[in-house]
Amino acid sequence: MLFENMNMAFSAIRVNKMRSFLTMLGIIIGIGSVISIVSIGDTMRNLFADLYKDVGVTQAFLCVGYWIDDRRMSDYFMLDDLERVKEVFGDSIAYIDSNMSTGAEAIYQKTTVSFDFTGIDYNYIDVQPVDMIYGRYLNEGDVLGRKKNVVMDVDSAMLLFGTEDAVGQTFRTDLYGNVDEFTVVGVYKKEMNAFQSLMMGGRSDRGSAFVPYTLLTWPNDYFYYLHVYASEDVDLNEFLDQLKAYVANIKGRNPEDMYMQTAMEEMSSVDSVMGGLSAAVGGIAAISLLVGGIGIMNIMLVSVTERTREIGIRKSLGAKTRDILIQFLTESAILSACGGIIGIIIGVGLVSGIGMAFGIGVVIRPAVVGMAVSFSAAVGVFFGLYPASKAAKADPIDALRYE
Amino acid sequence: MAEELIRLEDLVKIYDTGAIKVLGLKRINLTINRGEFVAIMGKSGSGKSTLMNILGCLDRPSMGHYYLDGTDVASMTPNELSDIRNKKIGFVFQSFNLISRTSALKNVELPMTYARVGKRARRERALKLLDRVGLLSRAEHLPNELSGGQRQRVAIARALANEPPLILADEPTGNLDTAASEEIMGLFSQLHKEGATVVVVTHEENIAEFTDRIIRFQDGLVISDDRRGGAEGAV
Repeated sequence: MLFENMNMAFSAIRVNKMRSFLTMLGIIIGIGSVISIVSIGDTMRNLFADLYKDVGVTQAFLCVGYWIDDRRMSDYFMLDDLERVKEVFGDSIAYIDSNMSTGAEAIYQKTTVSFDFTGIDYNYIDVQPVDMIYGRYLNEGDVLGRKKNVVMDVDSAMLLFGTEDAVGQTFRTDLYGNVDEFTVVGVYKKEMNAFQSLMMGGRSDRGSAFVPYTLLTWPNDYFYYLHVYASEDVDLNEFLDQLKAYVANIKGRNPEDMYMQTAMEEMSSVDSVMGGLSAAVGGIAAISLLVGGIGIMNIMLVSVTERTREIGIRKSLGAKTRDILIQFLTESAILSACGGIIGIIIGVGLVSGIGMAFGIGVVIRPAVVGMAVSFSAAVGVFFGLYPASKAAKADPIDALRYE
Repeated sequence: MAEELIRLEDLVKIYDTGAIKVLGLKRINLTINRGEFVAIMGKSGSGKSTLMNILGCLDRPSMGHYYLDGTDVASMTPNELSDIRNKKIGFVFQSFNLISRTSALKNVELPMTYARVGKRARRERALKLLDRVGLLSRAEHLPNELSGGQRQRVAIARALANEPPLILADEPTGNLDTAASEEIMGLFSQLHKEGATVVVVTHEENIAEFTDRIIRFQDGLVISDDRRGGAEGAV
């Protein structure tokens, strides 16, 4: 009987193709936007999670609060402080540096390129892996000896030297006023998807290179920030609290006077913004589903009136109230579910298309798709209830006489 | 031998139009036996359509009893009446009343669908019935691809679907030309000869001539009831 009802419903939907399509349109748009929004939200969250994983979720910046009035010389860190922290926290710290970077012009023969120089320790590659394609990474000797050696990425090498293999090449630059000669010891490559390079600034006409961090703190060796990566296996919150307390102590400050910025916090704030956005747009999409449902109710009422005679015939042949009710409910549910399915195809297609265009793997949760189909069918049943019961209650004699 | 199929006892139908009450049928007593071929005649407003609706279990009498095949259907609920219509009555209407967007075959299957007959059995029987009315080759045609006479034959096949004891035809030739009318009435005569009980409501004398018994109505009352023993329609 279910099969017969579905057959009847499909034949009724086919007879009025245009009308059925227009009726479905509300549901198509509603479901299509719900699927798109949810998928875009999920994809963005995923991308940000990837991005933060890449940047380092265990990362934190620590300094004496910028809001402190009685600034003292001892608020600055020195290389000794860094060594003490390293010693005290040992294996809990995966990496630590002075978070120093500077911009300067790099000159090679007749080429001048603006460069960003980031001061790193030799084990930075452990927390920010890159593929060395030529030469080597900075080593302990470079850092301790304050060697004027640099490691740069392929694009920067191309920019400055016109070749990828720039190992052994030298260029001149003036970090903090002193013009010096620097040697390239290694060239690396970092794979990034479109979204990452978009967020990272991507390809530009600026070069970037790593130098030993000890070079940038020179000559007075003061710096303002500690830049820390915690080990993967520590309790991050506990570790950060301890670190904050310890550093506050050596600086003669209260822990609440310290400023700490963590990747975790940023990530959760991005997450909550995304969540809020998804909820808001999802709410609007839900309203369009409601409007779509009302459209279905409207057209089902028209359909019931148009087919009064058919209802009369069916009743005269023995159809019970329930048979007619189920017939029309099936029809509105199918109408709505078809709209839902088309909406899903459009939504998924749209999101996948955008993902493909940007080279991003999109996240489409099967549970969301399943929920969308059942929800659209439920909308159909709910809004079909009134028209169907109107049809089912029709008096056979009046219905047969209806012209 | 004469086993009764229909018995009406003091049957009254009142139409309550709000302002006034109209007596549609005034204490009708009538018996129709199994295997009879009966014409119910009368002008419009005579009460014959009201009787037809009650006989067809589409409407309920206001008072009195209607025994169909041994059960009193006068006090049944609408859903129980649906069941009775499905199993005990085969309708043939003036305007055919086929469902226009489905094939002749599907139309014939419909009463069996509501009787929850299985798909295969349904199809087999529907094809057999279409063959019987000479339309097997048109099984997959839609009603609007058939002539009036053919449509009415599909309707007759549909009426026979659940092998009901009573065939009830309401002006079955009203929309047909003379040739098609004779063809349809010939089919009823043949069904009657095979043992079916056929009740035809009509206002045309020449159609009533096909039957064995003519019951005439006027103003909600039976004014004559003529049996013509052994009379047969000119086939």
